[in-house]
Amino acid sequence: MSGPLISIDRLTRHYVVGGETVRALDGVSFDIGQGEWVAIVGQSGSGKSTLMNLLGCLDTATSGTYRLNGADVETLSDDALADLRNREIGFVFQTFQLLPRATALANVELPLVYRGLPRRERRALAETALRQVGLANRMHHRPNELSGGQRQRVAIARALVGDPSILLADEPTGNLDSQTGEEIVRLFGELHARGHTLILVTHEPRLAARCPRAIKLMDGRILGDGPGAEVAALQATRAVGT
Amino acid sequence: MTALLDNLAMALGTLRANPLRSALTLLGIVIGSMTVVAMMSLTEGLRLKVKDDLALLGSDSFAVSKWPAPSFGDQDWHKYEARKPITREMGEALRSLPHVSGVSIEESYQRPFAVSTNQRSTKPVIEVVGAVPDVARSRSVSLAAGRMLNDTDVQLSRKVAVIGADVADLLFPDPAAALGQEIRIKGASFEVIGVSERMGSILGLESKDGFVLLPWTAFELALGRVQNNNLVVIASSSEDVPKAIDEVVTTLRRLRGVAPQDENDFDYFTNDSVNKMFDNLALIINAASLGVCALALLVGGIGIMNIMLVSVTERTREIGVRMALGARRRRILTQFVFEAVTLSGLGGVIGVLLGAGVAVGARELVQVPASVPAWAVLLSLASACGAGLLFGIYPAARASKLDPVEAMRTE
Repeated sequence: MSGPLISIDRLTRHYVVGGETVRALDGVSFDIGQGEWVAIVGQSGSGKSTLMNLLGCLDTATSGTYRLNGADVETLSDDALADLRNREIGFVFQTFQLLPRATALANVELPLVYRGLPRRERRALAETALRQVGLANRMHHRPNELSGGQRQRVAIARALVGDPSILLADEPTGNLDSQTGEEIVRLFGELHARGHTLILVTHEPRLAARCPRAIKLMDGRILGDGPGAEVAALQATRAVGT
Repeated sequence: MTALLDNLAMALGTLRANPLRSALTLLGIVIGSMTVVAMMSLTEGLRLKVKDDLALLGSDSFAVSKWPAPSFGDQDWHKYEARKPITREMGEALRSLPHVSGVSIEESYQRPFAVSTNQRSTKPVIEVVGAVPDVARSRSVSLAAGRMLNDTDVQLSRKVAVIGADVADLLFPDPAAALGQEIRIKGASFEVIGVSERMGSILGLESKDGFVLLPWTAFELALGRVQNNNLVVIASSSEDVPKAIDEVVTTLRRLRGVAPQDENDFDYFTNDSVNKMFDNLALIINAASLGVCALALLVGGIGIMNIMLVSVTERTREIGVRMALGARRRRILTQFVFEAVTLSGLGGVIGVLLGAGVAVGARELVQVPASVPAWAVLLSLASACGAGLLFGIYPAARASKLDPVEAMRTE
């Protein structure tokens, strides 16, 4: 396929809060290619969550364009966005967002339910995905019977199961202790090595520094875009300077 | 199809997760469906039994009287009291009509009599009738023993009697030996020549077996003449009943001197007209119980709406996650509507089972007539599901309109 996987151009998102316009995202442009591992880094209020929601097709921009895998996201209907999320995007959330009453297997099957796959096919794919994240022996456990790291692995399996174009992870290590967090980051590394496109939204410079590429946001604008270590350092000097 | 099964599985999963809450929510619907099925089963049973018990007349017969047909409303009795009596001659005149094969002329007092033997006596509850032989056909009397009244009995004013099963039971310890025994009515003796088979009762209340049939000539000698007679006209066949009615009405109007513009000064009725009246009553009862049911379903439906709103609020995050993973809004809508309908449908099924249980239990234990009509079952299931649908849509619509980002952020 020609062209970048993601192409955003002067993407802007304004909120009106109490009669005041908040420029959460203010004219952001970048491309992300197939197979890249990109961190979107910034402090809270920098606009990174807004950007993540836009990239995840959970929200639409006030202005600007967003092309995902050739589709012009801004023009799509609600239903088309739902289908796009289902096929193109695998979400990993900070708080895991697993359904508490469903088993690991049922949780992982969920995106395939909405894709309309028959039960048997769903089950087979979900089992494969859980094996990939090392949870072959935890398939029938419910989230409250799993550790934090295991829950996040279930969430990653759920994100992977539909074979999406992008894995979009929002602070995936935020609710984990450092050792478990490290395991998850290593898992991301493996997924990247296998050719998955990863976008990792984080406020931690150390995590961003480990990504091949990082985009640093501040006040809704791009402060830097380049190799992870450089952009993370850039943030460090700025932080000292202010 | 897969989506349908998935929805059903999800709905059942939610119900299982909150069994107590689901059960309480179901209660209103359960009560509603139970009421419908139980009430309709009982009225249906009653209706069928009434039809059976009130088959006083054969399908080829109709009654003619100066009194109105049995009914429930208030009657202006003075109007009927003032009517001219129907005389024996009028009854006899009907025999020659082309579509009339027989006329039972029945003469009786409005008050009942006591009937006795030397040893025993009944309470004064026995209907004593001065009859002609056609009474056997008009009353569908079949005899357990002996013979029926005949023309000779009438011509010779024989002091003979055919007695009902109740009378035989009360007076003769061995009913089989009743034949040839003497019974006394107001001091006059009659020989028992026939004992009727048991005919049962009207709804278990009024026995149809407390009667004594006498030749009308003997009746008048012993008890005095009654001016007014009740007639039962037997048509040449069931199909001929309308023609026979026409002929009888025309003849009676002429004999009774009714002016062309005046209404009949007598009444007639067939079994059908009696049944129709009871059908109307059943309809009224059913309408009333439908009202009760609608009310219960309304209450149940509001309960469902309430619990679904709670459920949507509790599961806001889940809804957000589902949307993020690719659930279209319509899918969320159908999921919650499905849950509501599953909930109410389950209530309907339980209600139907309980209602049928009540009806059958009443029939088996208290001998109340009951028959569970299929349409009542379908009606209550459909209305239970309908209530779920109606009251489930609003909460489901709220769920489907949630913003996924906001929804996932709630705790």
